[in-house]
Amino acid sequence: MQTGYILLATIAVPLLTALALTVIPSRYPNAIRVLAVATGFVLFGLSLYAFFAYQLSSGDQFQFELRWTWIENIGFLGENGITLHLGIDGIGAPMVLLTGIVAFTGTIISWKIDYRNKDYFVLFFVLVAGVFGVFASLDLFFWFFFYELAVLPMYLLIGVWGSSSVFPTFARTKEYSAMKLMLYLVGASVFIFVGIFAVFVEAGIGTFDLPTLYEVEFDENFQKIVFPLFLIGCGVLAGLWPFHTWSPDGHVAAPTAVSMLHAGVLMKLGAFGIIRLGMQLLPEGADFWMPALITLGTVNVVYGAISAMAQTDLKYMIGYSSVSHMGYVLVGLATLNPIGVNGAVLQMFSHGVMTALLFAMVGALYDQAHTRDMSVFGGLAQKMPRFVAFFSIAGLASLGLPGLSGFVAEFNVFVGTFQTYPALGALGILGAAITAVYILRMLSQAFFGPANERWADLKEMSHLEQAAGALLIAFIVFMGVFPSPFVDRIADSVLRIPGVG
Amino acid sequence: MEAVTQQIPLEHFLVLSAILFSLGVYGVLTRRNAVLILMSIELMLNAASVNMVAFAAYTSPEQFIGIIFAIFIITIAAAEAGLALAIILRIFRYRKTANVDEIDELKW
Amino acid sequence: MGMSEAWLLPLLPAGAFVVLTLFGPYLPRKGDWLAIAAIFTTFALTFPIIADLTSAIAEHGPEFGGVTNSIEWMSVPGYLTLNLGVHVDAITVVMLVVVSFVALMVQVYSLGYMKGDSRYGWYYAVISLFVASMLALVLADNFLVLYFAWELVGLCSYLLIGHYSHLRSAAEAAKKAFITTRLGDVGLLIAIILLWRETGTFSIQGVIEAAQAGQIRTEVLTASVFLIFMGAMGKSAQFPFHVWLPDAMEGPTPVSALIHAATMVVAGVYLVTRTLPLFELVAGAQELILAVGLLTTFLSASMGLVMTDIKRVIAYSTLNSLGLMFVALGLGSPAAAMLYLFAHAFFKALLFLGAGSVIHATERQDVSQLGGLWSKMPLTGATFAIGALAMAGLPFLAGFWAKDEILVVATENRAVFALLLLTLPVTAMYMARLFILTFLGEAKEPEAIEHAHDGPPTMSVPLVLLAVLSVVAGFVVFDQVGRAMGFPGGIGEIIFLHEPEVFRFDVAVAIGSTLLVASGLGVGWLIWKERPGLAIIAAIVLKPVHTLLVNKYYLDDLYQAVIDRVVLMASRMLAWFDRNVVNDTIVDGSAQATGFIGYLLKFQQTGRLPNYALAIVIGIVALTLVAFSLK
Repeated sequence: MQTGYILLATIAVPLLTALALTVIPSRYPNAIRVLAVATGFVLFGLSLYAFFAYQLSSGDQFQFELRWTWIENIGFLGENGITLHLGIDGIGAPMVLLTGIVAFTGTIISWKIDYRNKDYFVLFFVLVAGVFGVFASLDLFFWFFFYELAVLPMYLLIGVWGSSSVFPTFARTKEYSAMKLMLYLVGASVFIFVGIFAVFVEAGIGTFDLPTLYEVEFDENFQKIVFPLFLIGCGVLAGLWPFHTWSPDGHVAAPTAVSMLHAGVLMKLGAFGIIRLGMQLLPEGADFWMPALITLGTVNVVYGAISAMAQTDLKYMIGYSSVSHMGYVLVGLATLNPIGVNGAVLQMFSHGVMTALLFAMVGALYDQAHTRDMSVFGGLAQKMPRFVAFFSIAGLASLGLPGLSGFVAEFNVFVGTFQTYPALGALGILGAAITAVYILRMLSQAFFGPANERWADLKEMSHLEQAAGALLIAFIVFMGVFPSPFVDRIADSVLRIPGVG
Repeated sequence: MEAVTQQIPLEHFLVLSAILFSLGVYGVLTRRNAVLILMSIELMLNAASVNMVAFAAYTSPEQFIGIIFAIFIITIAAAEAGLALAIILRIFRYRKTANVDEIDELKW
Repeated sequence: MGMSEAWLLPLLPAGAFVVLTLFGPYLPRKGDWLAIAAIFTTFALTFPIIADLTSAIAEHGPEFGGVTNSIEWMSVPGYLTLNLGVHVDAITVVMLVVVSFVALMVQVYSLGYMKGDSRYGWYYAVISLFVASMLALVLADNFLVLYFAWELVGLCSYLLIGHYSHLRSAAEAAKKAFITTRLGDVGLLIAIILLWRETGTFSIQGVIEAAQAGQIRTEVLTASVFLIFMGAMGKSAQFPFHVWLPDAMEGPTPVSALIHAATMVVAGVYLVTRTLPLFELVAGAQELILAVGLLTTFLSASMGLVMTDIKRVIAYSTLNSLGLMFVALGLGSPAAAMLYLFAHAFFKALLFLGAGSVIHATERQDVSQLGGLWSKMPLTGATFAIGALAMAGLPFLAGFWAKDEILVVATENRAVFALLLLTLPVTAMYMARLFILTFLGEAKEPEAIEHAHDGPPTMSVPLVLLAVLSVVAGFVVFDQVGRAMGFPGGIGEIIFLHEPEVFRFDVAVAIGSTLLVASGLGVGWLIWKERPGLAIIAAIVLKPVHTLLVNKYYLDDLYQAVIDRVVLMASRMLAWFDRNVVNDTIVDGSAQATGFIGYLLKFQQTGRLPNYALAIVIGIVALTLVAFSLK
């Protein structure tokens, strides 16, 4: 059964939970945790349902549609000017599933939060609601609204529950990282905001409704001018070079579950925006600007990978690897052919799951060891075999090992890139090889080799963390071995993007 | 008896009002004593009132909009003068001066 | 069970892997029996497939191209379809037999060798995954499956080299192996995609047919062929990628026998054999294979002479053999390469397992600490001797036929022939040295061998079976033997690309090569057995050469220096650039610039009423003037 109320529920449930949490007295932290995890589970179930109930051969561009009139559409607003219009296509479906997975595992991982955990979960669920809203919105007004809703709690989550780091050569306070992240994302949203209004005015039919606007043929010059607004605005969120520096610092400062959401889902909002707003709305603009994006995306891949190789802090390494992997997403989108774009969306899902796993594992280690410097570890495999196994699986997925999700996604991106820009495709493959270098160096240095006495009292990670990790691994393997449920949904919608099919 | 409006053209009132206003502006810019600045402001307000009344009398004599506004201005000017004088008094008590050049606390 | 059901073969060990990974700790004996049952079934199932193949060949004659069976894995309709499929022909079947038999032997052997290991169950799980991937690799009908399996065998190799993960050296060796082969894989993946771009198919057969029909542009084909060879060089440890294989000996010895001797390292040979028609279309490609093969043979043979680690010597001999196989391919004889591969799998696995028995018994693996084991471990000694002689190429053992076939093919090229003859005595010498220093003479550390004895039946039975095969495996060159097994003839009749290769036995070559091998063995006997002083004198007289060889031609050091000085330095510089230039200068700089401009502008805020009043008046006047001028 398909109904838009599923999507509405993914937004309303976390918001209502946030509201309900505010009335639970904070002297019952366990009640708060139970409610949070239960909500996470419900969200996971809803997103799983939305993903699998998505019908492959329905012929509609969007499914699970729901339209609620929110304000009176009079004056400069025409018919359906601003409505709460929800719906997902084959690109949105895996993203909703991804959000459900990461939100659920994130709540499990956050069980350990002691300091003001009520406030933490309230902000966490507001953030989750915003993310679900962006993926499900088919109205520019609400798209932007949810976008901001997803971004704003990040500041407090990092600023209050984050951690500052001091390194031999530099230091990053959590306030600095939170502020930089916030300024970048809000600054970027100005571009999106301007772009949205430009589209609204240019279309001249007084509506923010995306499917209606998709029907409008915009002037070519207009598209060329406005597309970069969306490209930069959303690109910043996707970690586009050279606007990426908020991302590694933000990852490092954020608490574990926020890093998971941040790298796993929030960065995908950017890539998703490039598709939803940029490519679907302004295909000719996309056509004009994509050579620039593919160049920058390749820089992302190689630059991120090489930078990651030099990191000694586990989280920084993963942060830079995110920059590198989001590069594959950008490259895939920029190919503007179905294989590459399909690969990009696959990579969005794949990177979301595996980077969430990586951050969950780093968090599990950090909570015990209180350091993330990989050079001081060694031989952890003997103390924490499961932890090392989970970490290795995530690492192997990120270096593109066949049988895990990363390979399917990257392979599609490579094939797509080779169709248009073989030289950049070769660089991308080289980037995957560099990924192997830093992942394996890290595994060898931190986890294998003789046991270090200093870490004699480290224990295996908790059962909760194991459960969260196992769930993420299940999806990494599922997509790696059996990608067609994903590909069938994505490809169907990718082929409908004008200028791609 | 001919009405004033037929004997004197509107321009005369406007020139008067402009002169009054300019005097006021000149006073605000050049005086250093807060009380004198306040008096110059009153001059500007009066210029505006003259303008209002004149336009009202010449363009739509059957309506009283302009006159009503003039009365408003007088009322507000009175209230404002009271308030401003009170402030100036407090400043004078506190700083022993009413010279605005010396009252520059409100900055960066 | 026919050829088209061959996809079942890799699934059995793959299933064992899944069960062992998830439930291994809860199974009795940690599930080793399950892994062995799976591999045994796989091995048994190869026979119906062979029978099916032989009857198909009998029916269709030599033109029989094999059976393909594939299903769709994922597709972007109209643009990209990825299939999972198997292709069975004679080459595949040879590989299937080798892989499943050696894997069975190694798994049985491991029952004894790995007993008491703290990660016993995991070991069996990974071995099962390896077998599954290796079977998938040889069965692959398209490049995608091949690459898929290619990477997975690399992963298993990584995991198994690093099995003793508490040793720093094992962790480093595993990393080195993975990264080095991965570098080659970059080439392979690019080649696969390039070929797809030209032909629109991943099917190996389809690509070859398109290339033969001239549908692939020459420059793309040239690039692809060299990139494929790059992948093969990485996996098969050919110069300059050879550095990982000797280090890979950090893994458990049965793993070295299975992965780093009999199966995975020959994947490169297999890949080039499969795609040889592509190489034939590109000028210079076969010459390159030949040159790389010869170079690897020489380098490894010379280094094998001076190594003291028993496993490393065998590893260099493996490099030596792999080089020979590539020489055969470079000369255009896949049958010779596959024959050598077939024979090599048995005698090299035998050598490694024999070395494993020695290590198991003495807990030492440096020949300078061993010696005098012959009387303590007669079975191991005898089987090891057979392996060593087969490797040296003594007549009528498996290695002899394979090596001679390559020599006969090489007679057409005088220079190659001469160079190959040169390596024969060297190979014989270091095999003799290895055997003598390990088993003969006085025990250098008597306490080490005091309690040494042959292993339990689980270890000795595989040794005996492999020794028997090391003696008889070479006879598949004879048509009679082939026909007795149901094939139309000897291996040359089965494994070919264009037309059956006739196995040519050249008496002159055989006698010449035998004399060279015998002289090598004799010199080895003289130096290391009869006149032990000679070895020391030689080491002193040829000190520069000795140093060069012991240091592996300084290639490892060179690579390490490049990694440390160039790659890591570059990455640190980039990271520094990112942190200090991009972030601290540009990003933070823009924030600071905003702050600084604000700082400058705030002085406009004098706090003096007249200034503000003046500004207001000027503003109004200016606005009024603008308004009037616009009007």
